[in-house]
Amino acid sequence: MSGTALDATLGGTAADWLALLKPRVMTLVVFTGAMGLLIAPHRLNPVLALTAIFCIAVASGAAGAINMWYDRDIDAVMKRTANRPIPAGRISPEGALGFGIVLACASVLVMAMATNLVAAAVLALSIGFYVFIYTMWLKRSTPQNIVIGGAAGAFPPVIGWAAATGSVGLLPLLLFAIVFFWTPPHFWSLALYASGDYARAGVPMLPVVRGARHTRVCIMVYTLLLLPISLAPYILGLMGPIYGATALLAGVAFAYHSWLVLTDRQDAQGNSLARNAPARAAFKYSILYLFILFGACAVDRLV
Amino acid sequence: MAERMPRPEDPHWTPAARAEFMRRRRGRNLLLLAALGGFCLLIYAIALVKLHEYGTMW
Repeated sequence: MSGTALDATLGGTAADWLALLKPRVMTLVVFTGAMGLLIAPHRLNPVLALTAIFCIAVASGAAGAINMWYDRDIDAVMKRTANRPIPAGRISPEGALGFGIVLACASVLVMAMATNLVAAAVLALSIGFYVFIYTMWLKRSTPQNIVIGGAAGAFPPVIGWAAATGSVGLLPLLLFAIVFFWTPPHFWSLALYASGDYARAGVPMLPVVRGARHTRVCIMVYTLLLLPISLAPYILGLMGPIYGATALLAGVAFAYHSWLVLTDRQDAQGNSLARNAPARAAFKYSILYLFILFGACAVDRLV
Repeated sequence: MAERMPRPEDPHWTPAARAEFMRRRRGRNLLLLAALGGFCLLIYAIALVKLHEYGTMW
């Protein structure tokens, strides 16, 4: 019996079920959600605040599990995702779907119980956006999938703020905009060196449809757009100088990384002759950028 | 018709496969136990805090 067939017979391990929740994505979602909660003007009881963060984490995991259920066909042909529990045969597609739906419903219900209906409604909206708008509609139909679908990952700071205040204000909407404009250069940097995988799976990522050269230009444009948007909370007086200085420095560094991606040694089609080292560096830095920026929000508010 | 769930008493299973199946099932069950126990504690904690701070659950 082959390894995969044996795995399918024996069933997944606890670690496989946890892997369905995409824990690495969850880290960033939880962090931005917690920052939204932390910078809100109202203080929530610590137990309820931790519950709200936990609900954001579980909802993110639930959306990830449903995404893995829907994308199991393309995951199977992509090197990066072929060993995920469903394509590897360790968890059945139906089991993963049920797991995702139960967790999604539970996270929204507990959020409503622990905080308020606004936070629960935005949480439900974020799950629905990721599953129906991004996964089922945009991802396979347009090279702009990441641009519009990026909204799904931008909800957590709004949810965190809503959990504490029961409303949605200008600052969380600006944080939403920051994550929204951060998402395309983040994912396109990854797509530049994983475009072979996406092409094999038939996913119309920008480098696959429009080529690497066009993608490099788009990364630069979105990074430059992100800079003034990230400064807006300071310019509008919603954040202090600690945040303003950090956003400026981190944004310039992000623009520098994007510039290196744009000017990478490349062939006529824009394919890297340097094993996409600048794109890899830009992808790693983009994650650090978001941590720095949202960390500065919290420091600015607490100091 | 749905496939029959794999059972460790199936005669064609090797002792090693049977042991691995039991190990995985134990891990899954412990995870489920922890999740259900944690969920009960979470609801209890939310109820305590909300009733103490606001005097109502909703």
